[in-house]
Amino acid sequence: MKRSSIYLSILLLFGVAITVLAQPEISPERKQAIDSLALEKVKDLGKYISIIGNKDTPFSEANRVIDRALELFAEGSQMGVSSINRKEIKYYGIREYFQRLMALNYDRVRIEWFNIEYISDLVRQPDGRYVGVITVYQRFTGESDDGLKYVDTTKKDITVYVERKQTQIQGRIIGFWDVLLGDIRVTETKPG
Amino acid sequence: MKSLHKILILIFIVVAGTGEFSCKSQKKIAAEQAAAAEARKIAKAKADLEELLSDNTGLTLDEKESRLKVIKDMNIEDAEVKELIVKVDEKLKREREALMAKERAEKLAREREEQLRREGTEPKGLNEYFSLIANSTNLATSNRYIGEALGLFASEDTPVLIIVSKSGNIVDYDRPTTIRRYLEYLKDQKVVRNEIENVVYDANGKITELELIKK
Repeated sequence: MKRSSIYLSILLLFGVAITVLAQPEISPERKQAIDSLALEKVKDLGKYISIIGNKDTPFSEANRVIDRALELFAEGSQMGVSSINRKEIKYYGIREYFQRLMALNYDRVRIEWFNIEYISDLVRQPDGRYVGVITVYQRFTGESDDGLKYVDTTKKDITVYVERKQTQIQGRIIGFWDVLLGDIRVTETKPG
Repeated sequence: MKSLHKILILIFIVVAGTGEFSCKSQKKIAAEQAAAAEARKIAKAKADLEELLSDNTGLTLDEKESRLKVIKDMNIEDAEVKELIVKVDEKLKREREALMAKERAEKLAREREEQLRREGTEPKGLNEYFSLIANSTNLATSNRYIGEALGLFASEDTPVLIIVSKSGNIVDYDRPTTIRRYLEYLKDQKVVRNEIENVVYDANGKITELELIKK
């Protein structure tokens, strides 16, 4: 029984290896297209975060944008939150992070993302997915009417997963690249 | 001999007298001709001015002003002509002001028409809606454009496919979305990154599928 299990495991591993090896490498043009697509999704997230945090955004509109932003993430992903006033970095589930962002106790909030680029290129994994890391810089400015102002710049690393999937649209099989964002980790926090 | 001398003197007197008479006559004729020409000029000027005062010339305002200038440049010393010039001058000024007012009104009407067209009183194309939604700075306006654009589609769940690359027979898409979500995406991101590749319509002329491609 034990021996047969070992044989079965070896056979399964062999099967997986064959499957992975059987998947053809994509052309440089297609690879470049998915690189750009993943980068675009991160930029989209930056804009969504800016809208959600903005105190001028109506409540219903912010909630709609939260739903759109959540669609960018793989299930269970977390967002790191830091502050120049503490060493600890807190991690929240993405929905909770957005809700906290929307409820921040400032009268004006401005969030900008810049220098968005790959620090680790998308690389094909044995399961066929492409995984990479994109880094962004976020400048956060929160101001209160009583003159309180908090400004910091954080560097964040975002894990990106790109997977080839298929779906049926009006009787037609469509092959698409599904880009999903994973955990967002804070790697640096500076005042100003 | 003496009588011959007298005859010659007599002939000289007669000839000289005739010549003087002839010279005087020519001056008179010239003066009469000049007076007649002046009278004709005055008459012509009066006729032209009276015609200009009437609205039967069929001339444009520029042509009327040009004709008045020609008459003014003649510097005719005639009280009646001068009076007519003043009247025509005033009339043409009024016409010029009216024409300018009409042109201003037409310009305003054109601008209004253009504004109405921009605001959506005329049917817009899909590309125009994409641009208007992405560039709108006002939430209410962008929502209105989204509502109008959705009217072009069979339903707000009409599928939108975005091509990210084409390599031989292989077409790669982004994750499929719906038209409402795509229009809201334009509103949120404030940028149009795709252009129209293919549109499928139903029998009612409504769009049932939209295919876009990355710019």
